[in-house]
Amino acid sequence: MKDIKKIEIIQRPPPPEPARRTNPLARVFDELVRFCQSRSMFMLHYCTGCGAIELPPAMTSRFDMERLGIQPMVTPRQADILLVTGYVSVKTLKRIILTYEQMPSPKYVIGICSCTVNGGMYWQSYATAKVLKDYIPVDVYIAGCMPRPEAVISGLRALMEDIRTGRGDAWKKYYQNYDFYLGNQQRLFGEKWQTPTDVIAEAHHYGMMTDQTLGEHTDLLEQNEVPLDALRTRLKARTE
Amino acid sequence: MDKNLNVWLDNLLQEIEGIKFRRKSTRRVRIDVAMDALPTLLELLQGRASYVHLSAITCVDWPDDGEFELVYHVWSYETQSLVSAHTRIPRDPGVYLSIYDLYEPAAFFERDIHEMFGVFFEGSPDMEKFILTEWDGPPPMRKEFDSEAFVNQQFEWQPYHPDWLKELEEEGGGVTTRPEDIRW
Repeated sequence: MKDIKKIEIIQRPPPPEPARRTNPLARVFDELVRFCQSRSMFMLHYCTGCGAIELPPAMTSRFDMERLGIQPMVTPRQADILLVTGYVSVKTLKRIILTYEQMPSPKYVIGICSCTVNGGMYWQSYATAKVLKDYIPVDVYIAGCMPRPEAVISGLRALMEDIRTGRGDAWKKYYQNYDFYLGNQQRLFGEKWQTPTDVIAEAHHYGMMTDQTLGEHTDLLEQNEVPLDALRTRLKARTE
Repeated sequence: MDKNLNVWLDNLLQEIEGIKFRRKSTRRVRIDVAMDALPTLLELLQGRASYVHLSAITCVDWPDDGEFELVYHVWSYETQSLVSAHTRIPRDPGVYLSIYDLYEPAAFFERDIHEMFGVFFEGSPDMEKFILTEWDGPPPMRKEFDSEAFVNQQFEWQPYHPDWLKELEEEGGGVTTRPEDIRW
């Protein structure tokens, strides 16, 4: 693991060429921006399940994620990567979606461990959501129970390569197919489910409205939408 | 001194009629007691025999007998031994007395059992939802709750051979060990 270049990267064909732009330097500039993006990423320090135990060795001096330009970040508002490391219970999934929607675009999701792919060893559990990519778009899956730090690093390298070549655009799917994701979320959390983030307005802002963005589920959301107050903390004093 | 305490306690408990006493090792005692006598027994153990630490309350479902088995584990720092007091309560209506007045940590265990098994504890300070805040189905740890059927009805499954996996396989990745190759 001494040399980054020795870690094998799966080479994939480049995405189709976009329509020719007026500015001849635009593509050069885009490539430069993408290259810089892929070399400076902040990983949200939010971990679910048991796969998180492989991250300290991946981050610290043994495998040293920082040489790839990836650093842990404590707040979702400043993070690029959301790592979902292990089983996703229904309760956790709510928090993951809230966190994901708070992250600024472009944002990337990595699903680590078998549990995020198909439920893993908790496939029979009433409390865990099985397929993570039904609820938020996932860029890279790293399978294994659990994947070793080498696998984590290799997955991050794959993500970096995807970003550099312009393939890492799963976050756009969330805006383009919001109705699909919202429908799956409503199925688990009930009809009254809503988040503080106005995803539809963001989709307008990014210019990513498609015919899949709005649908019956977003209609339901607008019907049941109520203004959200700050969360109340309930402290119950014990009566002697 | 410590050993003497144990011997005295053994002798005393063997004298009491109606309870089944079994010493399983030097540090473990099992007592089977009727449901109306359990709070008294715990009061005796706590107040007179220094069993001040309630380690856990566990619940076992016996649907064939129509009963819940509640097990109260109490620990004594003086005699260094653990008493497990077993009692059985009828499954219907599944209501029992709280021991919150004896052991305050019981509130957590009782709330948990109420959530997972649906046993209601009278006198417990809070019987609200505890861990399963997103859950409004039947108590999931009861034997008659079929988790697999619920999962099949509630969740979608990941197909075994989706299209994106075929793409990976063309590039040399994918499933390396097929189900037929797994040595059980």
